[in-house]
Amino acid sequence: MQVWTKLFAKSPFKPLIKHAEVVLEAVGTLEKALGAWERGEYEKMREYARRVDDLEDFADRIKEEIRDSLSSKLFMPVNRGDILGYLEMQDKIADAAENTAKWLLVRDPNNIPEDIKDEVRTLIMTMSQESIKAAKLVYEAIVQMDRVIESGFGEREIEREYAIIKEIESVEHKIDELDTRFMEIIFKNSAKMEWGLGMYLLNIAKTISNISDKAKDAAERIRLMMNK
Amino acid sequence: MIELLSDPWLFITIAVGLFMAWAIGANDAANSMSTAVGAGAITPKQAVIIAGVLEFTGAYLFGKSVTETVRKGIIDASQISDPNVIVYGSIAALLAASLWLLFASKFGLPVSTTHSIIGGIVGYGIVYAGTSIVNWGKMAQVIASWILSPIFGAIVAFVVIKLVSKTILQQKDPIESAKKWAPVWIGLAFVVIGSMFYIKVMHGKSLFIAVSRYGLAAGVGAFLVSFALLRKNVKATDPYWGVEAIFRKVQVLTSAYVALSHGANDVANAIGPVAAVYAVATMGLAGMKVPVPRWILAMGGLGIAVGVATYGYKVMETVGKKITELTNTRGFSIDFSAATVVLVASSLGLPISTTHTVVGAVIGVGLARGVKAINKDIVKDIVISWFVTVPVAAIIAGIVFKILMIVG
Repeated sequence: MQVWTKLFAKSPFKPLIKHAEVVLEAVGTLEKALGAWERGEYEKMREYARRVDDLEDFADRIKEEIRDSLSSKLFMPVNRGDILGYLEMQDKIADAAENTAKWLLVRDPNNIPEDIKDEVRTLIMTMSQESIKAAKLVYEAIVQMDRVIESGFGEREIEREYAIIKEIESVEHKIDELDTRFMEIIFKNSAKMEWGLGMYLLNIAKTISNISDKAKDAAERIRLMMNK
Repeated sequence: MIELLSDPWLFITIAVGLFMAWAIGANDAANSMSTAVGAGAITPKQAVIIAGVLEFTGAYLFGKSVTETVRKGIIDASQISDPNVIVYGSIAALLAASLWLLFASKFGLPVSTTHSIIGGIVGYGIVYAGTSIVNWGKMAQVIASWILSPIFGAIVAFVVIKLVSKTILQQKDPIESAKKWAPVWIGLAFVVIGSMFYIKVMHGKSLFIAVSRYGLAAGVGAFLVSFALLRKNVKATDPYWGVEAIFRKVQVLTSAYVALSHGANDVANAIGPVAAVYAVATMGLAGMKVPVPRWILAMGGLGIAVGVATYGYKVMETVGKKITELTNTRGFSIDFSAATVVLVASSLGLPISTTHTVVGAVIGVGLARGVKAINKDIVKDIVISWFVTVPVAAIIAGIVFKILMIVG
C-alpha cells in the first residue's frame, strides 16, 4: 500500500522553470541573431534565427507535457487555471521571439536610408536587449514563485516577487516607448523607402515589443497566483 | 510458554499473528517512515534500523490499551460459550486481515490495517451469533475515531506548518530561527513521549503529573540536547536550503517518533486476537478478563520489526525515490502531527488508523499551501477504502470462520 508515491504528485514548478529556461534561451538566441543583423553578417543571422525556431518548438513540447501532467485531480497551493494561464503566456514569449526570427529570414535589410540607418539599428538593438531583460526577469519571477511557496507565502518573499513583477512592467513600458519612437521614424521617412522595407522594419520592431508584452502578461498571472 | 506447543491451535494463531505483524511491518511501518526517506532525511537502511527498534519499543511499552480494545471491546465475548469460537474466530480475523492487506498491497490500495482487523473480528462475530454480538456502541466510537483521526491529523498539521512558517521561514534570518525553534518542536515531541511513558509504563493515573513531571522533564532535556547539537554553523547560500538542512536532522528524530507511535498503535492489530486466543487457551473463557501478557506484545513488536527489515526496506527504497517533492520542513510537519495524534489516541485506547492520520496530516499541510501537488484521487481512494475494507475483511473472516468451525 504505497500511498505516498501516489499521494504526492510531481510539482509543476520545476518543469515550469525548465520551460522558462528554454524561453529565455530562445530570446537570447534572437538577440544574437539581431546582433548579427546589425553587423551585417546575414549568414550567421539566419543560422541563429533558425535556432530560435527550434527552441520555440522545444518550448512547445515542454508546454504540452506540463499541460498533460496538470490534471484537474491535483490539489495545489496555487490555482491550476493560473498556472496554465501563466504557462500559456510564458510560451507566447517564445512565439514572439520566433515571429521576429521569421521576419529576419524573409529578407535582408538592404537600402535603409543612410540618415536614419544608425538610429534604426540602435533602437532595434536596445529593444532587443530590453526584451532579453524581460525574459530573464520572467525566469526569475517563476523561480521566485517557487520560493514564495517554499517560505509558506512569507511576506518578504511575496514582496520580492512583486518587485520583480514591477520591473517587468517597467521594461515593457520602456520597450513600448521605443517602439512608438521607431514607428514615428519609419513613417516620417517613408518617402525614402520602398514599402517592403518599411513593413519589414516595422514588423521586426512590433514582434520584438511583443516579447515584453507577453512577459508582462506572464507577470500578471504570477500576481494572480499569489492572490489566491 | 511450554503449553504453547502443546496446543496446535494456539501455535497456529501465533503463526498467523506473526504473519500479520510481519505484513504490518513490511508495508504499514515502512510507509510511515517514507516521508523521512523521501525527504532525504534518512537512508532506507537507517530507516529500517530506526523503525525496527522503535516499532518494537512502541509496541512493547505503549501497545497495551489498543490491544485490549481490539481483543475484547468490539464484540461481546460473554455471548461466546465455546472457547473454540474465540480460537477459530481470531485465526479467521487475522487471516482475513492479512490476506486483504496483501491483496491491497499488490494493487497499491491504501487500506488500513486497523480497519482490516476490526472488520475481521466483526465478521466472525456476526457469523457466529448474528449482529447482536457486536458491541455497536463501541463500534460507533471506533468508526468515529476513524473519521476524526484524519481530521485531527489535518488540523494539527495545518497549525504546525503555519507555526513553522511564521516562526522560521518568514523570519529575517530563517537559519538562526530554525536553530532556536527546531529544538522546541523536538522538546514538544518528548513532552508527549514522556507523559505517555508515565501513564503507560509506570501506570500513572494523573495526566497532570504525567505532563508536569515526566513530560516536561523529558521535553526540556530533549530541548537542551537538540539545541546544543543544532548550534553548529550551517553553511548555506540559500536560507531556505539551510532551514531544510536543519530539519533534515530533526526529521531523523520525528521519524523515530512516528515509528514509536505506529508500533504503539498498530501492534494491536496483529496481537489483539492472539492475546484473546492465548487467554482462553491458558485459562478458559475467564481468561478474557486478565490483561495481555507483555511477552505477546514483545512478540508482535518483533514481528513488525522483522517485517520492516525483510520487506520494508524494499518499500522504503522505492517510495523514498518517488516522493522527492517533499521538503524537510513539510515532512517534519506531517510526521510530528501524525505521530502526536496517533500516540495520544492509542493511549486513550482508540484503535485509529495510522495511514489515515498521516494522510490527514498531508492534507493539512496542503491546505496551508505547503505541498506543491497532492493527488486528489488518492484521497478519494482512501475514503472509499474506509467503506470497503471493513465489509471485505468481515466477509473473508466470516467464510474462513465457517470453514474452521466445520473442519475443526
